[in-house]
Order: sequence, then structure tokens, then C-alpha cells
Amino acid sequence: MAFELRNATPADVDAIMQLESSTFGTDAWSPAVMAADVASTNTYYLVAADSADPGRVVGYAGLLAPRGGMDADIQTIAVAPVTRRRGLGRMLMVALIAEARSRGARSVFLEVRADNPGARELYDSLGFEQIAVRPKYYQPDGVDAHIMKLAVARGQTHGASATQEPLVLGIETSCDETGIGIVRGTTLLANVISSSMEEHARYGGVVPEVAARAHLEALTPALSAALAEAGITLDELDAIAVTSGPGLSGALMVGVAAAKALSISIDKPLYAVNHLVGHVGADVLRDDGTEIELPTIALLVSGGHTSLLLVRDLVSDVELLGETIDDAAGEAFDKVARLLGLPYPGGPHIDRVAIGGDPASIRFPRGLTHPKDAEKHRYDFSFSGLKTAVARWVEQHRDAGEEIPIADVAASFREAVADVLLTKAIAACRDLEVPRLLLGGGVVANARIRELAAERTSAAGIELRVPPLALCTDNGAMIAALGAQLVRAGNAPSGLDFGADSTLPVTTIQA
Amino acid sequence: MLLAIDTSAGTSVAVVDRDAGVLAEINEADTRRHAEVIGTMISTALREAGVAVADLSGVAVGMGPGPFTGLRVGIAAARAFAWGAGKPVVPVVSHDAVAFGATEPLLVVTDARRREVYWSAYSGTDEQGLPVRVSGPGLAPPDALGEVVPGYDGYRRFDAAEVSAASLGLVAELLYLHRRPFAGSEALYLRSPDVTLSSGPKRVS
Repeated sequence: MAFELRNATPADVDAIMQLESSTFGTDAWSPAVMAADVASTNTYYLVAADSADPGRVVGYAGLLAPRGGMDADIQTIAVAPVTRRRGLGRMLMVALIAEARSRGARSVFLEVRADNPGARELYDSLGFEQIAVRPKYYQPDGVDAHIMKLAVARGQTHGASATQEPLVLGIETSCDETGIGIVRGTTLLANVISSSMEEHARYGGVVPEVAARAHLEALTPALSAALAEAGITLDELDAIAVTSGPGLSGALMVGVAAAKALSISIDKPLYAVNHLVGHVGADVLRDDGTEIELPTIALLVSGGHTSLLLVRDLVSDVELLGETIDDAAGEAFDKVARLLGLPYPGGPHIDRVAIGGDPASIRFPRGLTHPKDAEKHRYDFSFSGLKTAVARWVEQHRDAGEEIPIADVAASFREAVADVLLTKAIAACRDLEVPRLLLGGGVVANARIRELAAERTSAAGIELRVPPLALCTDNGAMIAALGAQLVRAGNAPSGLDFGADSTLPVTTIQA
Repeated sequence: MLLAIDTSAGTSVAVVDRDAGVLAEINEADTRRHAEVIGTMISTALREAGVAVADLSGVAVGMGPGPFTGLRVGIAAARAFAWGAGKPVVPVVSHDAVAFGATEPLLVVTDARRREVYWSAYSGTDEQGLPVRVSGPGLAPPDALGEVVPGYDGYRRFDAAEVSAASLGLVAELLYLHRRPFAGSEALYLRSPDVTLSSGPKRVS
């Protein structure tokens, strides 16, 4: 069922009263009071109609917000029982909050019956906070009223209206890429990445302190470059989004501190978002016109993460199915590259030397695929044993004075990684009956992993989605894209008190 | 009028004015919460001072010396704030804020963690009211200060646990007023990243 919202007129009062009486019973307003309130210029009433049957009013909501006043009140809201759990209540609330904001209100208040947990959950999720209790307010039932308040962000009187997609700047500093992205809704406007990868090359892996120092120097140049690339000014922005975790603490803190200060200096709301969910969010920026279908299984593979997720909703429902219990897949590539004498980062170099190698020549172990692991670690990964197995194999052959067949070792190692990643991802799709797999993370740039993903998903009748490769590695655009989804869903900003959380769980989409 | 930020020790945020002095200052001594508290402290300082972003003429920031992770929080915040507001950043050596107003030779010492300290030596205050740094900032083990600080015995030693952003801001205002050079734009870590080059893969068998 799809819904349409429109402004209520006196002609709607009868339909509103039907819903009002059936919903609120003894608390219902009288038709005269309702008619006067709908007609007042200090209020804003919306009715929701079924798109298939526009004459049928299935919900309504009213706001009291005198223009120029600081405070607005949600007067009433109700949806027909058949429409419940479909997001109509949220849609109406978001529209009323937007109107309150455009009328200059700084706070929105409401009252909710203490015995209405469904409504309470909606208001909590929109960012309302309980500020008082009125004992036995609802009579004759003697039920308490909970008074709730939402602080409305300033600076959104234009831009984030229902017709215009939110314009969001994203800041990403969780590892070795300083990423600044700007998106309008699902449209990519700028994606500036400044990488400190070359500085890490001599150490064979990311050095957290080197990465953090590089972020500090790259930050404002990247901001300026992104603004120029997007061709926008700061006043046009609707919000800022920043990665608050997971990642390297010292690196994250640079982005978090900068985002907070910027949010204050340009007076725009700030959203702290989850890096891993950002990788999934990157998919909304693809420009082929296809939209991500949910739920989906997501396999995120990078130098810092190897995670399998079940994504039911990008802004409200992401579940961690499994993750690596030791090294990330990208780390395994780096370490094996080193022992083969190849440069950092290992992925592209392993790919290069594996050409012509026989992936079946050496059977390296597939971590956590033993039947005994099926119970506890069904969707978890382990690459530490694989790395050691490769090292041992190479040592034995070197000790025996043999030449190391680098192409075969690289191809066989890569095959073991790709095999275990896809075996577990496909198992999740099958077990959970979700015939969709999304890939993300820098290791997706590895050709063999993409190739095997295409083969296995096609054989299993699973739809495969891979975001554009430029958006698979860490970047600010994916953070901006997730931020835009949160703004569009009506989520309240994160405030200024969040910290960098190196182990932020994937279930915390917004901190 | 300047917003001033220093995170070389705890977190300190102030709003200062050349004529009116300190309009607001907020301090958090905890040296592990810089990133959490910085936003709210900036916002509160501006509100308490009753100053709008547009009224500021720049952002003064303590460049250290200070332990890396915390120090960066203040510099990142100052740079991003100034960038957003279209105002200049005024870098100041954090120890100068501690020595601000000192009339006698002073050795400023702050914690550098890992059993080392940061130090700067000041001969006093010049006619413009600015502290005169004669050596430092430097990094040394605490018991080696006598050897590394030239003329160590001539200074009164002051171990500072906090650096005041208000003092830092006032130093910046005076530098500004008298067209004196600011500190460099590089963070004063005074230590290389804690990393050693690997001597090659280790054997596993």
C-alpha cells in the first residue's frame, strides 16, 4: 500500500472524525473542535490517502505552530489499523517536524499515553525525549501522559524539504584514506580521497600514527577540493555526516573533531555514522538507475574488516552475521605479499603475479569451514592459519633449495581467500533465504574475488551487486550517502557528545 | 575576537577579545576524552561569550608540544572550524600560554607520556606582554632536563598539568596586534611515529 499526503481541508473533517473516534474513544475531540483546529492558520493538518483509492483517508496528523513562535506541538496523529507497521505514522511525523522547522520552531512537543508503547517507540526513534509526566492525565482511564520534546535543528528551512533531496557532506578518516564526499540524496556530487598508502608501503601495513598525522594535514585541502568538485557552497548543505567507528581510534578522532567543529561553525546538523554500514550505503550512489533491494546479505572485505551482514533496512536494521576472528582478508593479502617479496598493498600485486598461476596447484586451508565450525563459526572468517600455511609451504620449498612457483602460490592463496569468502556468503544467502548479495570494501577490487562471486551467485540464482569500484574503497561519499538516508528517514542529528569508537558494532548505524 | 582551542594537555576552549579580555573559558582536565568533549565545549564557550561565529576574527590553536592523539583533536577542530567560517587559523606554541604573564625566567614542563617530558625555557616577558622563549620546545627524560636545558639552574621550573586556551588566545591577540610571527603550521609532536622497519618476515616453521 502506498500513501499520499495532502493538506487537510474542512471537507476532510468527517473522515478525520471517524478515525479520531475509533482511535481515541473516550479521548476523542468533538467535531466542532476538530473543524476549528483544521481551519486555523496557526495549525498544519495533513491527511494521508491510499494512492490506489485517493478518496479514502487512512491517516491524519496535526501540528500547532504559530509562525515566529519558538515552540510547536503535535496536536494529534492517527492511522487506520490496516495501515499500521507500514511507516505511515513516521511519514506524517516527519512531514509535521519539517513544517515546524520551516515555521521557525526550535522545539516540537507532544504528549503520549503511557500505555501506548508503539507510539512511544516511533517518537523515540525520531529523537523525541521525555521531559515530564502528567499523572492520570487521560480520564476516565486514569492513564499518565508522557510529555516529550524534540529539539529542531536550525538551518534547514530550505534544502531538506520534501521535494528536494538532502545535500550532505561526508567525512571519513577511519583508516588510511582521508575521504570527503558530497551527495544530494542518492546522487554523487564529489568524492575526494587523499590516501597515505605510500607512506605505509615501507612498513608493509598501515601504521596508525602515520595515518592519523596524514589525516590532519589532508583534511582541509580535501574539504576545499570536494566543495569545488561539487560546485556548491557551504550554506546549501543540509547536514554533515562523519564516520565515528569502527576503525583506528587516533585516525577516527581527527574526522570526529573536525566534523563537530565544522558543524558548529557552519551551523548544520551532524550525523555520526557507522563505517561498515557506509560501505553498504555506497550502493545507493550507483548511476545505473537500479535500486538496492532489501533485505540483502552484504560481504564487506577490506584491509581492516571482513564482515558478513544481513541488511534489512539501511537506516534502522543491520545485523552482524559473522566477521573475522583474527586477520582481515586484506591483511592476509599484505602479509602473504611480503613473504613472497611483493610490495604493499598486497592485493593488486598478488593479483598481478597470479596471472598464469594454477589456483588448484596447492590446496591451502579454508579457515573455519570444518563441519565442527559450522555451529559456532558458520559465518565467521579466519585468515591467520591460511597466512601461516602459505609461509610454511614457502619455507619448506626454499629449505629444499627449490624455486618458489610464485604464480602458483599467489593464485592458490587468492583462490583460498575467494573460496572461503564466497562459500560463507552464499551459505548465508541460502540459510536466510535472501537471494541477494552485495559486495563492499577495498578487497572487492580484487579481480578473482569479483569473478568467483559472479560465478557462484549466478549458479545459486542469487542477485549480485557490486558498487562502483571507486566507492568500494574507503571514501567520504558513502558516509555522505548514508547520512542522506538518515536525514531522509527523519532521524534526529547525533548531537556533539559522541566519541570515536574503534569497535562500534554494526547494529549501531548512527551513533 | 578569537576562538581559542588547546588540547596539548586536557581540553581547553575559550573566547577572548583584545580589549575585553577573556569572554569565556571552559576546561576539561581528562586527557583521554578530547574528541568526545571538544564539540560541546566549543559550542558552550561561544554561547557563554554571547559571540556569533561571524564576529570572530580567527581561531587560535595550541600546536603543542603534546601527546599525538589528543593534540590532533584540537588542531583538527580549529582548522575545520576556521575553514567553515572562512577565518584564519592562528597557531601558537602551547607552552607560550603557560608562560604568558611570567615575569621571571621560567622553565615550562608538561607530560609527554612514556616517561618523558616536554619543556620550553622563557627568560620573561617582553614590552609587548609576550613571553620570550629562549630555548625549546624540546623532549627529554625528566632526569635529563638539567643537561639538555641551557642554563637550567637559572629557571624556576613549572610543571603544568593544564594549558589555558584563554591565555593561548590572549597570546594570539598580542601576536596579531603587534604583527609578530605566529608559530609554524606543523603540529609539534617532537616524536616520530612509533614504528620500526621490519627486518623481513619471521619464520613460522
